[in-house]
Amino acid sequence: MSRFLFPRWANLLLPTVILAGATIPLYAFFFVAYGLSPKTLEVGFQPEQPVPYSHALHAGELGIDCRYCHTNVDKAAYATVPPTQTCLNCHTNIRPTSPKLVKVQESAATGLPIQWQRVHKLPDFAYFDHSAHVNRGVGCVSCHGRVDKMEVVYQTKPLSMGWCLECHREPEINLRPVSEITNLAWDSATESSFEERQALIAKYHINPNDNCSTCHR
Amino acid sequence: MISLPPRWMLFVGGIAALALAIPPVVIARVRATPDPEHAVHIFFDMDFQPKFKTQEPNPLFADGRSQRLPVAGSIARGEGNPDLHRTTGVVNGAWATTLPAGLTMNDAFMERGQQRFNIYCTACHGYAGFGDGTVNQRAMALMSSADGPAHGTAWVQAKSLHDPAVREHTLGAVFSIASNGIRTMAGYEAQVSIEDRWAIAVYVKALQLSQNATLQDVPPEVRDALKSSPVEKNPTATSAAVKAPTATPSKDGVK
Ligand code: HEC
Ligand code: HEC
Ligand code: HEC
Ligand code: HEC
Ligand code: HEC
Ligand code: HEC
Repeated sequence: MSRFLFPRWANLLLPTVILAGATIPLYAFFFVAYGLSPKTLEVGFQPEQPVPYSHALHAGELGIDCRYCHTNVDKAAYATVPPTQTCLNCHTNIRPTSPKLVKVQESAATGLPIQWQRVHKLPDFAYFDHSAHVNRGVGCVSCHGRVDKMEVVYQTKPLSMGWCLECHREPEINLRPVSEITNLAWDSATESSFEERQALIAKYHINPNDNCSTCHR
Repeated sequence: MISLPPRWMLFVGGIAALALAIPPVVIARVRATPDPEHAVHIFFDMDFQPKFKTQEPNPLFADGRSQRLPVAGSIARGEGNPDLHRTTGVVNGAWATTLPAGLTMNDAFMERGQQRFNIYCTACHGYAGFGDGTVNQRAMALMSSADGPAHGTAWVQAKSLHDPAVREHTLGAVFSIASNGIRTMAGYEAQVSIEDRWAIAVYVKALQLSQNATLQDVPPEVRDALKSSPVEKNPTATSAAVKAPTATPSKDGVK
């Protein structure tokens, strides 16, 4: 009668199982922390826009100030995506019949808005206010990256709660004089010293809140 | 000596180990490239609530706007200001030469005007107002391209604000041009608040003075210092040479 004998290589089974038992939870942890983090899921969102409008051309090359179009960014919570009329200030006379501007001319003729796609979007339970930041020395670049180098805008920051709080607890890292708010090339780290930025905290009376009700109201 | 399991088992094991490497590579790639597939919502929570935030579309209306346009002819509270001086820049049928009631001339007002001018007007008129802003340069280049102006471009050179005819405009006239535009230039009523348009007008008048100043415009106590200074008047000054002037001319100069 022949008995079943485990083959010799079965001895390897135990170390293999131990190895797998140790690495698979690590792997799963990594998968969740790295793969499901807002830096993966949110950063880089770049919806297709109805008009091939380029910030790299208008804000970068031509140097038009952000506030020329985003008129409410220093007055209200909402920055405002410009109405068609703003484009027409120039485009009634500059390339009015360009095929790239057909949607703009259509919108001007019908009075219906251009359907720009939202890029940055907080969940509806969070409150954000542009003017509170922009008038106190937090520049566009701290939260939107080098928009003046983007052909099509995409999200460069996670916009997660952790990211908001990181700055609210240590604002001096990102502060700049209010005159440089829309100057995206101005880098706080190289163009101002830590002491200068500390002085701005006193000058602009900055005391960011991390009470829940600041952002969840 | 360790004996190895059958070949096929090693093979399957190897493939499985390699497969584990795929998700990190995919994730790293996703992180590195912007595309429309991001903004994944795994748990919806209360991310999307049945309410409309500013500029959100509303499918209930034919034009898709959640912010309804005012009924034609309606006037918002506080906008029905009967002060024609303030809203049109006209006093008794002539262009105003003074600021309307409620606005006072001071350093802060002038600085506000400079800041707003640099935002809304420099793209075409240039920082010093010589009509050489970046957009104007680009548009003039399009006009003079070898195969004719591209795509129906019909650009008129943005006026130099130091043109003698433009210097004739009084404060109220400049306010009106900033508000309603002139000939091919669009108006900035929708983009710039009424106070800011008055501030811009004041700054434009100051800018004109600054480029056409005489010794008499300078306070007496600094005249001697100026006379002995080696800087000479540059007749071909352009915006590049005089970028963002910071000197605020004397307040009586702005009439
Ligand atoms: C000529 C007008 C114009 C200027 C100047 C301009 N923008 Fe924009 N911006 C737009 C339009 C139109 C959109 C909407 C389409 C899009 O997202 O590309 C937009 C979208 C954006 C968005 C994305 C909004 C969203 O949906 O989340 C950001 C961020 C932004 N702009 C930042 C800037 C910054 C920073 C500057 C200055 C460096 C600037 N813009 C200058 C017209 C302008
Ligand atoms: C202050 C002036 C100005 C404003 C405001 C402006 N543009 Fe432009 N735009 C230009 C100039 C200058 C060019 C470059 C033309 C060239 O050199 O081909 C241009 C080029 C373009 C082009 C490329 C056209 C082509 O055929 O190559 C598009 C598309 C465009 N703009 C869209 C827009 C939209 C949409 C808006 C409104 C959000 C807007 N622009 C507002 C000045 C402006
Ligand atoms: C402290 C961070 C921060 C700064 C600074 C900031 N933004 Fe934003 N921006 C945001 C966030 C967050 C959103 C998304 C808001 C939402 O979903 O309610 C946003 C949205 C926008 C939008 C889309 C419309 C809107 O208001 O939701 C535009 C346009 C924009 N920003 C332009 C700008 C410009 C131009 C500047 C600089 C003058 C600027 N932002 C400075 C964080 C910032
Ligand atoms: C780069 C720095 C920075 C980031 C990022 C940032 N904030 Fe702020 N925030 C500030 C500063 C500075 C203030 C001004 C505090 C003050 O006025 O004392 C402020 C103020 C505010 C206020 C107004 C508080 C008040 O008292 O009115 C709100 C609301 C707010 N932040 C929300 C957010 C949210 C939501 C986010 C993330 C999407 C965010 N902030 C990200 C720097 C930042
Ligand atoms: C600086 C602004 C800010 C402050 C202060 C803040 N939050 Fe948040 N919170 C946010 C933003 C922004 C989000 C949305 C992040 C995302 O999911 O994109 C958020 C998300 C959350 C969520 C997750 C909701 C979900 O289902 O994903 C909870 C829970 C929360 N906050 C609770 C709190 C509590 C409790 C406090 C006080 C200790 C607090 N928050 C203070 C900005 C803030
Ligand atoms: C998009 C480009 C553009 C912008 C921005 C612009 N202008 Fe003009 N402006 C022009 C052009 C072009 C002319 C010449 C119009 C013509 O002769 O058809 C002009 C002419 C003028 C004139 C001379 C009028 C005359 O009597 O000849 C004044 C004054 C003026 N602009 C003031 C302003 C002020 C103030 C602003 C800022 C609020 C401004 N402009 C912004 C393009 C622009």
